[in-house]
Amino acid sequence: MWLLITNIAILSPLYQQVTVWSLAICTICIIWRVGIYLGKVAKPPKWLVTTLAFASAMTLAMVANKIGVLTALINLLILGYALKYIEMRNRRDVQVVVLAGYFLIALTFIQQQSLWSTLQLLVVTFINTCVLISLYHDENNFKHAAKLGAKILLQSVPLAIILFVILPRLPPLWMVPPQGGAKTGLSNTVSFANITELTRSAELAFRATFSDNTLLQNSALYWRAIVMEDYDGTQWLQNPSIITAERGLTNPKSSNTAGLQRFAPVSNNVLNSAKALSYSVIAQPSSQHWLFGLDRATSQDHGINMLADFRLYASKPIDQQRLYNVTSYPNQPLEPSLSPALRAVNLSLPNNSNPRTTRLAMQFAAQYPKETDRLDAMMRYFTQQPYYYTLRPPAVGKQQIDNFLLDNKAGFCVHYASAFAFMARASGIPARLVSGYQGGEYNSAAGYYSVYQYMAHAWVEVWLPARGWVRFDPTAMIAPERIEAGFDAFFDPQESYLADSPFGYMSYRTSEMFNQLRMQFASVDYFWSVWVLGFNTDKQQRVLEEVLGEVTRIKLAMFIIVSLGVIGLSIAYSAGLIQFHRSKDRHLNAYYAVCKLLRKRNLPRDYNEGPLDYNQRVAAAFPSIAKDFDKLTRYYIAIKYQNIGNKPQKKLSRLLIKQSRWLKIIIIKQRLALNKTNT
Amino acid sequence: MILTFAAIKRQIKFRLDSWLSRRIPAAKSVTLSHKSIFILPTGFGFAWICLFIILFLFGTNYQNNLVMGLSFLLLSMFNTCIIYSYQNLAGLTLSSTQSSTHSFAGQPSYIPILLSSKSSAFEIQLNFNGQPLEIANKVVAQSLPSRLTVLQPLRGLLRPGRLKVESRYPLGLCRAWSHVDLDIKQVIFAKPISGQDTLAYNLGARDDQLQSGKFIAGIDEFKGLKQYVKGESLKQVAWKQWAQGRGMLTKEFQQPQGAPMWLTFDLTASNPELSLSKLAWQTEQLTNKQQIFGLKMGSNTIAPAKGEQHRIKVQTQLALFPKKYPAYRDD
Repeated sequence: MWLLITNIAILSPLYQQVTVWSLAICTICIIWRVGIYLGKVAKPPKWLVTTLAFASAMTLAMVANKIGVLTALINLLILGYALKYIEMRNRRDVQVVVLAGYFLIALTFIQQQSLWSTLQLLVVTFINTCVLISLYHDENNFKHAAKLGAKILLQSVPLAIILFVILPRLPPLWMVPPQGGAKTGLSNTVSFANITELTRSAELAFRATFSDNTLLQNSALYWRAIVMEDYDGTQWLQNPSIITAERGLTNPKSSNTAGLQRFAPVSNNVLNSAKALSYSVIAQPSSQHWLFGLDRATSQDHGINMLADFRLYASKPIDQQRLYNVTSYPNQPLEPSLSPALRAVNLSLPNNSNPRTTRLAMQFAAQYPKETDRLDAMMRYFTQQPYYYTLRPPAVGKQQIDNFLLDNKAGFCVHYASAFAFMARASGIPARLVSGYQGGEYNSAAGYYSVYQYMAHAWVEVWLPARGWVRFDPTAMIAPERIEAGFDAFFDPQESYLADSPFGYMSYRTSEMFNQLRMQFASVDYFWSVWVLGFNTDKQQRVLEEVLGEVTRIKLAMFIIVSLGVIGLSIAYSAGLIQFHRSKDRHLNAYYAVCKLLRKRNLPRDYNEGPLDYNQRVAAAFPSIAKDFDKLTRYYIAIKYQNIGNKPQKKLSRLLIKQSRWLKIIIIKQRLALNKTNT
Repeated sequence: MILTFAAIKRQIKFRLDSWLSRRIPAAKSVTLSHKSIFILPTGFGFAWICLFIILFLFGTNYQNNLVMGLSFLLLSMFNTCIIYSYQNLAGLTLSSTQSSTHSFAGQPSYIPILLSSKSSAFEIQLNFNGQPLEIANKVVAQSLPSRLTVLQPLRGLLRPGRLKVESRYPLGLCRAWSHVDLDIKQVIFAKPISGQDTLAYNLGARDDQLQSGKFIAGIDEFKGLKQYVKGESLKQVAWKQWAQGRGMLTKEFQQPQGAPMWLTFDLTASNPELSLSKLAWQTEQLTNKQQIFGLKMGSNTIAPAKGEQHRIKVQTQLALFPKKYPAYRDD
């Protein structure tokens, strides 16, 4: 019975990873098992199971390259699990199934790590454990097995937590197959079509916590992720030199240094004097390499690199939530001196593209010879003309910037940024497109910013002599609220990121109470991410220091021994092994405990005084508790001296103990109050 | 080489046994405590530890704290289980009781044991060395009678030795066990083999041999009480016993017929085991026919009598005859 539940419980969270046909086999196995359980179907012959197992293993080996090694492994395990499940004959088979079950739970953890799914999987772990218990327990006693399972699990949790905190974290011991999840979030090309998709997603992209609780204006939160320097007439792309550099970081063996070489910025000593912003970011899994940082971002974390275009880049794809620390220098210029080759890259435009826009840019160049003036004029141009911001822009033709800038005059950030960068380049100023996220929702309870996918944004960086790359966001001219107050202030969520899921819980954003609740959940999830998922050597050190002061080996050993001892004793106590000396009669104890307290208030009960007489004296001395004490006395007398049935006895016993507890609290409270007034 | 190996093994076994008998001395009733309980992981327990190691490596390699957490939880559960498996056996009381039935050599012999436990104990496996398992699913404070099997015992006084009490409760990760000596002694009767030749008669009244030494139902001698059957004469009812609340019983009377028979055992017999077996067979036969018979074994004599008590007395005498040869077995 337990097995039936556990099988479904274990398999269901993994369904995303399972291929269709393994799912089909699993379903057949489960149905078969139900049949066996009900006694309707015979057990499968051994040869059938063996053949099936072989066939599926072979098939999986063949498709392993296509679906990824890890997924293949998961599928193999699931199939083995399902097949073993129908041919179960004795205790040993069940044990194998249970162990495989735990392993599958672990695999699920690799895929899903949210607080919610963890709780879910804990329940699955519990069910799996109950299967084992039912093996050694009365098979029919469902409730008892569940109770014992919960007990064992709960008693094991403290030690597990201590181990979790104390045991050293090791770096990965060997290379593991990547998980090959679907890539989410930004892409490394930007065209007129692709950011709108993101604005329809209410998924979390990353969270950032600033040290010293720095509060930043929404307009300062430009999270850079990708820099695009090449424009081919339809889309913006990363420059090949950067792509080569990125590749060199992920795969150190390929040292292909053809073409333009670009080196990462190293001058840290220069930066020291500048105003610094330090913060940590928890990136959600995206299966991509790029990370998010403000302005000139640097990071000393292992596995994070700084690229020549001042971005952060992870050596391994972000397959799991990842926490990294960043220090940004908002006032530091990016690349104050631009190499001629790079300047050429950032000035180049495809031939004969967007002739009307080019002409407009030339006019600007003629009118405003000074670069800053010219850029200001271009920015102003967007407000002077009737441009408006929309996530559903009209279609554009082949000369897309011409169409947008001069005909439609409606678009979103990519349109404005593209047009602005194009005009800047056409007028002789190096310019490039940057994509990333803009803004962040501040959670005041936990003090962090959440950045969602719909906050994806694109803007322009223009190179000015001595000032380096300077950020220009033409979208801010059209829709300043979008930048200053955040995405939500400008857009009706129903139109953008909720369009696809009208009933998603984000749609309650507008309601104050739900918003509060949502924020609370978000904070819990945040702490979960920081303290459990992001628990690393640093945090371990910090926790241990908090508990032990300076961490020495002896102290650590003593801590381990003491905590092990305490845990062992408490488990033994709760298992009924150790009993403190105590009178067996619980009712007598409950009654006496109250009498003892009253004795301290100078109203001792005489040895030969009956409970009823004592009750009268108590009522006279302490009218405030007279009613409650009377109740206690009545319960006590009923249990001790009246012959009542078994069931009422149990009920009364519970009432008596409850009443005793209640009275104790009242008396102690009164005494405390009395003490206060005396002093 | 093999010889010395066997010698070492014997030596170790001897040492272990003497250590055990010092640690858990023989007693009619034994309550298990920390002194007498041993705990070691089972094969499944080792597999569990392996799973822990695998998950730990898995979590380390993927830098996944949740997988690590799960692995620690498994390890911690193992630790909890050690305490639980100890708790399961601790306080378990085993006591031996006198067996009401006797068995013959070669037939399975059943040894009654009483189990009780202060706190509930589950899934207790009991067996004597190399003998079939007996499983008690739940043991509570109230004594639970349990019957252990000893297959194919030999004639004589059966000492099954230390009883192994084992439990893998609650998760099968640990095996908690104990070897207790309940000081069990049981007489195993000689295996009955049919044969007439050891029968001898006190008086040579060969003409009525089949009738001799037998009682027939009659009126002279009070034989005993039996359950009242509807239709029997009310005059025969034992009213005194009825008044004592022992139910309706009928008085039975009988009268002796002929002279008692003697079973004799020839101490010089070439195959004493076979003779013993034949005597055992005859004892059963004569008891079934309700005949009076006695036993002569050299200087030991059992006066003629009949009934269950007498049968046991005779059979015990036969069973305890000193062994010179291995017990006769026809397999």
